Amino acid sequence: MGLLEFATWLQSTSLSVTIQSIGWVVPLLQSVHILGIGVVFVSVLMTALRVLGRVRMEQSLAEVWHRFAPFLWWGLAVMALTGVLLTISEPVREFMTLSFRLKLLLLVVGLASAVLFGRRVGRAAGAGAGANQVPAGMRIAAIATVVLWLAIIFLGRAIAYDDVIWGEWSPAVLAGADAT
Amino acid sequence: MNAPSFIQGLEGSAIGEWMRTSLLAMPWVNALHVLCVTLVFGSILVVDLRLLGLLDRTRTVTRVAQEMLHWTWVAFAGAVITGVLYFAANATTYWFNTAFRFKLLAILLAGLNMAVFQLITWRGVAGWDRDSPTPRAARLAGALSILIWTTAIVLGRIIGFTKGYDVPVPDDMDFDFG
Repeated sequence: MGLLEFATWLQSTSLSVTIQSIGWVVPLLQSVHILGIGVVFVSVLMTALRVLGRVRMEQSLAEVWHRFAPFLWWGLAVMALTGVLLTISEPVREFMTLSFRLKLLLLVVGLASAVLFGRRVGRAAGAGAGANQVPAGMRIAAIATVVLWLAIIFLGRAIAYDDVIWGEWSPAVLAGADAT
Repeated sequence: MNAPSFIQGLEGSAIGEWMRTSLLAMPWVNALHVLCVTLVFGSILVVDLRLLGLLDRTRTVTRVAQEMLHWTWVAFAGAVITGVLYFAANATTYWFNTAFRFKLLAILLAGLNMAVFQLITWRGVAGWDRDSPTPRAARLAGALSILIWTTAIVLGRIIGFTKGYDVPVPDDMDFDFG
């Protein structure tokens, strides 16, 4: 079964049909999704700014991470739940966009970097040494992570405009070209 | 009933025209608006949680506010600019949209809540800067802020599902707000 066939099947399931048929569900899910990214992005931003030495310098890196990590993980959990339900409501439209595919790819990178960062901060705090000394690599990673999440936010919104943004790179446009 | 002339003027302006005809204006303005709204909510939430005395209790309220609120203001300015651009594309329709009107009302209430807090409660902040629990007025301001901004975001998303579709757009453009 190809991706398009899978998406078409998913769209015909009763869960998908139910979400589609109740008018207020999708806007509500999207609203919660936006509130979620607000919490997640600011948590990433504040942690990155602490790594860069711009905020909360009276707190150790581990303290700042422990302040924001629960918001990051719970925010991501809420986004995953609402995101999955939104995708189930219109899988064909989502799967057939380059923006959606790139977003998922970047999301995996974002999740992996957060897990790795958390472990590293945990180890540094355990060793008790140089909590305020941040290696250059971590500073670059902090900036890269903020840029990564900016891209994820942009791609999320770009799903609705995929063909305009990507032109013939958009899978939907490709599929349309194949059909004609 | 017609929209006021300045609303009609905005829609007919070069900016409104550009928003309707440029293929990439709408996606970029839309994405930037979401980004700004995201930052407004996330940054003010940090302050609100301190006002509620729930988090950052070892830090003073003024310090948390100073650190976060410049992000909130810059993001809010960005949200207003992108919001006006978005509005210009279809101003006369949005003007009569109920969700849009309630959203403006919510933003007004958020401003009112902030003004009351700033002018009254904040005057005595030196007396409770390190406190947690915080005074009742501060907790109320924090709770109202979370509630109002959440409402504004929900209303903003509802606008896209109500009106706004009847904009002349290029045939090849997927003008789906969802």
